Amino acid sequence: MRTVGLKDVSVKFGDVHALRGVDVELHAGNTLMLVGPNGAGKTTLARVLLGLVRPRTGVLEVDGKSQPIDNAFKKELGYLPEAVAFSENLTGRQVLRFFSWARGVPGKRVDAALDRVGLARAARKRVRGYSRGMRQRLGLAVAILSETSLLILDEPGGGLDTEGLSVLWSILEEWREAGRIVLLSSHQLALLERRVDRVCVFRAGKVVASGTPDELRDRAALRHQVTLQLATNENAAVDALVDEVTRFAGDLHTQRRSGELVTEVVGDQLLALMDIRGRHAPAVTGLRIAEPTLDTVYARLLEEAS
Amino acid sequence: MIVGRVGLALLVHELLERARDKWVIVISVLFALLASAVSLYGRDAGANAAALTGPSLVTLASLLVPLVALVLSHDAIVGERDRNTLGLLLSLPVSRLEVVIGKYVGRAIALTIAVTAGIAAAAIAGGSEHGAVLWSLLGPTILLGLAFLSIGMLVSALVSRPVTAASTVVVVWFLMVFFYDLGLLGLLVITDGGVSTGTIAGLVAGNPAGLYRMEMMSRLAGPDVLAGYGLSAGTPGTALQVAIWAAWIVVPIGLSGLLLSRARAVR
Repeated sequence: MRTVGLKDVSVKFGDVHALRGVDVELHAGNTLMLVGPNGAGKTTLARVLLGLVRPRTGVLEVDGKSQPIDNAFKKELGYLPEAVAFSENLTGRQVLRFFSWARGVPGKRVDAALDRVGLARAARKRVRGYSRGMRQRLGLAVAILSETSLLILDEPGGGLDTEGLSVLWSILEEWREAGRIVLLSSHQLALLERRVDRVCVFRAGKVVASGTPDELRDRAALRHQVTLQLATNENAAVDALVDEVTRFAGDLHTQRRSGELVTEVVGDQLLALMDIRGRHAPAVTGLRIAEPTLDTVYARLLEEAS
Repeated sequence: MIVGRVGLALLVHELLERARDKWVIVISVLFALLASAVSLYGRDAGANAAALTGPSLVTLASLLVPLVALVLSHDAIVGERDRNTLGLLLSLPVSRLEVVIGKYVGRAIALTIAVTAGIAAAAIAGGSEHGAVLWSLLGPTILLGLAFLSIGMLVSALVSRPVTAASTVVVVWFLMVFFYDLGLLGLLVITDGGVSTGTIAGLVAGNPAGLYRMEMMSRLAGPDVLAGYGLSAGTPGTALQVAIWAAWIVVPIGLSGLLLSRARAVR
């Protein structure tokens, strides 16, 4: 599969519009993250793709052609539900063996998947004795068991420790490098923003913004925070720098602290600011740029949408 | 084919899971122990052993086997929903009906093993003299279990929380197994005998637990036993019995499949 698209998807639960005419397109080798408040529709969209929710309107397109969500399509899906909890009476290995059999995957993939998520030593332990993070890893092992074309992960970071998260990052990277598609839904924007290619922001069943993290930053027009460390023995040069930066960025966005000048500029002002810094080079000993986090971008976009 | 690779995998998975379910093990062992105790008691009765042991075992099985079946099946669907694995299961290349059938058959095999083990224990304890009589209980007892297993599956498909399923099957067990005959007795008293014996017999036979008791008592102690209760007039013939068993097994499981298949959204 090169592209998977959902077009004009609408879902209604009783009086609640869970999705209203949503269009989403997924590309091979790309990771798309769905974000939004609880009940915004991101999990519903994933469930439509999995065939678990039947939409009132909408079509699935694979490589530009209309495709029913049938067993042939489902063979291409790997899925990790949110807060999954497998049967407590079975061992991790038995759980995976069931899924390997059901998917027609060779048995040797079971041990490979358990090893991949760091559960090889706990493979013969019953799920009852697993921590929340171990259960999440087991769910991840189920999702990657058959190396499907499309991996759907709902809150994949839930309960994972640092080591578990690094396993997740490496799986995401591996999937991307293999040219497969990853769709994930999460609230952990700060954690995931460096690992995704595109982001769809949902609110009240609609996509209110979509694009790469950088495109969303530009769209939100949030300012980067630039901190210039000032030289202590260049008073005249420092004063000239402070004057020019203040004129450039404005009083409201510039603040002099002990040994530092902190200013906030929008993305396309950065180059001009660097130019100013270059002209006053002796006054500056160091520089830090903090771009707005995706969390703040997301909050701004939601605010705009409401 | 109704059950494909996923259904077969599910069937084995269910069997494995049930074999490790402590409640299923406890009730199955209890059934085996009580059946053996009844059989041992009857052994001392000499020539009348079979006549004594058989009806006692029928009473025991008619109480415990439905309970085992309901315990086995009550969480089949709602349990998966509660663990967030129902969606995962249905995201596999499988139809929703196949999931229901795979789950049912896996649990039915577990139930068959439990019932067979119980009756085998009773047959061994009773010795060779009335072994044949005890083994004749096997088929109808399994049918009884399959009917209640199917009812439990339907409960599991209808409710949204495992605790609701557990309490509902307890109510079902009390109503269908424990209080049903008392209810019919009450009906006779209230109507002062206005309800015909044929209607009463029909109502008894319409309940799988009642049909099981009627059929087995008649088989073990002869039709006169039923006549003594005024039930002989309405005892169903073989074809009707087959239809009643088939209905109790197929209809609830079919409804479970229908409910799951028609759901617009599966959590």
